[in-house]
Amino acid sequence: MIVPNTVFTRTIASTPTLLILLLVVPVLGGLLGLLLPAFGWLPALNSTEFNLLGFEHLLATPGIERMVLLSFTTSLISTLFAFLITILILASYFNSPWLHRIQRLLGPVLVIPHAAAAIAIGFLITPSGFISRVFSPWLSGWDNPPDWLLPNDPYGLSIILGLTLKELPFLLLIALGVLAQPEIGRTLKAQHKVALSLQYCPMTAFFKVILPTLYGYMRLPILAVLAYSSASVEIPLILGPNTPPTLAVAIMQWFHDPDLSLRIQASSGAILQIAITLLVLATWTLLERLTKKLLLGKLTNGQREVGGMFIKQFTNALTFMMLSMIGFALIAMLLWSFSGFWSFPDLLPQQLVSLHWQSALTQMQAPLWNTLKIALTTALLAIVLTLFVLEAEQQTTKNIAVISGFIIYLPLLVPSIAFLFGLVWVLEQINSQHSFINVVLAHLLFVLPYVFLSLATSYRRLDPRFSAVAASLGASPAKIFWQLKLPLLFAPILIACALGLAISFGQYLPTLLAGAGRLNTITTEAVTLANGASRRTSAVYALVQMLLPALFFLLAWLLPKLFFRASSEDIK
Amino acid sequence: MKTQSPPSLDIRHLLLKQNEKTLLSLNEVIKGGEILTIMGPSGSGKSTLLNWLVGMLPSNFQATGELYLNESNITHSASHVRHIGLLYQDPLLFPHLTVEGNIAFAMPAGNKQQRLDKINEALDQVGLTGMGKRFPQSLSGGQQARIALLRVLLSKPKAILLDEPFSKLDSQLRQETRQLVFEQIQRHCLPAVMVTHDQSDATAAQGKVITLNSTS
Repeated sequence: MIVPNTVFTRTIASTPTLLILLLVVPVLGGLLGLLLPAFGWLPALNSTEFNLLGFEHLLATPGIERMVLLSFTTSLISTLFAFLITILILASYFNSPWLHRIQRLLGPVLVIPHAAAAIAIGFLITPSGFISRVFSPWLSGWDNPPDWLLPNDPYGLSIILGLTLKELPFLLLIALGVLAQPEIGRTLKAQHKVALSLQYCPMTAFFKVILPTLYGYMRLPILAVLAYSSASVEIPLILGPNTPPTLAVAIMQWFHDPDLSLRIQASSGAILQIAITLLVLATWTLLERLTKKLLLGKLTNGQREVGGMFIKQFTNALTFMMLSMIGFALIAMLLWSFSGFWSFPDLLPQQLVSLHWQSALTQMQAPLWNTLKIALTTALLAIVLTLFVLEAEQQTTKNIAVISGFIIYLPLLVPSIAFLFGLVWVLEQINSQHSFINVVLAHLLFVLPYVFLSLATSYRRLDPRFSAVAASLGASPAKIFWQLKLPLLFAPILIACALGLAISFGQYLPTLLAGAGRLNTITTEAVTLANGASRRTSAVYALVQMLLPALFFLLAWLLPKLFFRASSEDIK
Repeated sequence: MKTQSPPSLDIRHLLLKQNEKTLLSLNEVIKGGEILTIMGPSGSGKSTLLNWLVGMLPSNFQATGELYLNESNITHSASHVRHIGLLYQDPLLFPHLTVEGNIAFAMPAGNKQQRLDKINEALDQVGLTGMGKRFPQSLSGGQQARIALLRVLLSKPKAILLDEPFSKLDSQLRQETRQLVFEQIQRHCLPAVMVTHDQSDATAAQGKVITLNSTS
C-alpha cells in the first residue's frame, strides 16, 4: 500500500498513538496518583512520608469486613444470576422467534443509566412500592405498607436485584452478537442440528453442544461485568445499605468528607478495592474451572434429555417475571412523576398532576444543558478520533485491534473508582481548574471504548474495493474518507454517536469527581435526589435520564432514513 | 508526462513475493488498445498483481521491479495519481450517490454545466438516457455495469484494469457488456490488463494470454 504524504494522511497516521495516550495516561496516571496518597504521601496535608497509616485506619474502620463482603458477594452473585438467566433464555428460546423479541424488550434497558435503573427498582420494591400495592390488600391483607427493609437491606439483596437486571441485557446482547457472527453462528446452529438428529432434546443439545463454545466468547465481557459491578457506585448507593455500605460507596464518602485526612484512608481503600476486584475475578475463574471439571464427563454420558421441560417452564416464568418487573418499574415511575395524593394500598394515585414535571423541568435547565454540552463534546471527540484511528488502520493495512484490543478495554476493566480518584489528584497537582475539560476527558475514557467497539465492526466490514475503485478514479485518500466512507457509514456512525451520548449521559462518578462537584448533570442530580428528597421529583429525573438516550437513539434510527435514503439498504 | 509517446503500460522485471515465496514474475509491455489477459486458479497471485498495479499491495507481500505508464515511472506513486482505472466484477457504484453523482465523483473538477452535459452525452451513448437522477440500486445489473464503465472512462484513465469484470453477468448480457468494454478500450487507445477465469473472455480480448500456475 503506497500512502501519499499529505496533511490528511499524516494527521491520520498519528491518531492511533493519540488514542492510546488518551486511554493509558489517565488510567496509569490515576493509579499512580492513588498509590502515593495510599502510602501516606499527601503534600496538601503536609504528609510527605511514606507509611501504612492509611491502611491501618482503613482496617480499623468499623464494619470494614461487611463492606468488603458486601462488595464481593453482590458483584459475584449478581453476575452469576445474570449469566445463568442469559444461558437459560438462550437455551429455552434458541431458534425461536421469542429470542429476538426478548432481546428487543430488554435492549432499551442497556442504555438506561445505572442511576435511573436503580431509582426505578427502588420504587418497585420499597414497602409502599408498586409490587406491594399490586398484591394489597386482596392477597397480602396489608392496609399499611409492610415492614420490610427493601431497598437498602443489609444483605445487599436489592443491590443484587438491580445489578442483575442491568447486567442481563448486556450479557444477552453479547451472546446474541456472538451467534450473529456468520462463521461462528452458522457452525453452532449446524452443530445443534446434528445433536437434534442424534435424538438430543433441544435444551440438552444447547447445553452440551453450544454452551461450551459460546462461553469462550463471552468470557471477557463477563469479566468486565464482574470488574464493573464489584466497584460500581450508583446502584449500591441508591439500593444498598448505608451502615455499612459497599466498599466503593464508602471510599467515595471518605473522599468527599470535609476531613481531608480521610483522603489517605480513601486512597488505601481504593487499593483494597482493586484487590477485591481481582479476588472476584479469580473466584469466577476458579468456579469456572471447577464447573468444567465436574461437568466435562456429563457431556458425553449419552443422556439426551435432562430436565428439558422443567427448565423451559422455569425460564418462561422467570422471563415473564423479569419483563413484568421492568414494565412495572416504568409504569410506577410514570405514575409517581404525575401523582398527587397516593395513599397505600391504592394501585393508582387519587389524582394526576403535572406539577412535578413543571417544577422539575424549571430546576433542571442548568443540569440538562450541562449534560448535553458534556455528552455532545465527548461523543463528537470520540467519534472523530475513532474514525481517524480506523482509517489509519486501513491506510497502514495493519490490524490495530492487536494493539488496541486490550487497551481499549482498559478503562472498563480497571475499577473506575480506583483510577478516577488518582486522576483527580493528578489534575489537582497540575492545577487543571477547568472542570468542563476535566469532565470531558474523564467521560472520554468510558465513551471511547464503546464508540470504538461499535464503529470498528462496520468500518472494517466496508468493502475495500469501494476505496480501490475511488482511488483508481483519482480520488485522494482525504476525498475517499470524507466523500465516500463517511456517507456510506452514516447509519453506523449515528448509532455509535447515540451510544456515546447515552454512555456520557449516565456517568456519575467521573462527572462528580473530575468536575469537583461544580458541574451538575441530570445523573448527578438524580442520584442526589434519590437519597432523600421527594419521590415524585426523583421519578421525573429518572424518566428524563431514560428519555434522553431514547431520544438520540430514535434520531440515529430516523436520520439515515431521511438522508442517504438509498444507501441505507445497501450497507450492512 | 511525455505526451508524444504512444500509450503503453510497461511492467519491467516484476517479481512478487509473499514471505520469501515467489508468487509470480512478469515482464510485459501492453500497448494502447491492447488487452493482456491473465488467467489462473485462485491463489495464483492474480489479484496480488492487480493490487501491485494500482499501488495497493498489502504489507505482507513484497515486490521488486518497475511500472511505467506512458514512459513515466509510477512504481512508487500513490493509487489516486496513477491514472489507472479499475473495473471489478461488481459495479461497486457508490450507493449514496445518484448515477450522475457517481460519474461526477470520477470526473475532473470544472464547469458544472459542461460536466453535466458530458455525463448526459455519455449516458445517451450507452442507451441509458435520462437515468442520471436515479440511484444505482434501482437499476439492473447490466445497467449498473455500463455506468461503472462510464465512470471509469470519464475519469480519463491512462490505462485500465479489469478484475473478472463480466463474471457476474448472464451470458447474453456478458457478451454485450464485454463488447462495449473492449470497444471503448480500443477507442480510447488504453492499455488494459484483464484477470479472468473465463476462456471466452480471453478469446474475445484477442490479446496475449498469460496463464499463472498455482503456487501452493
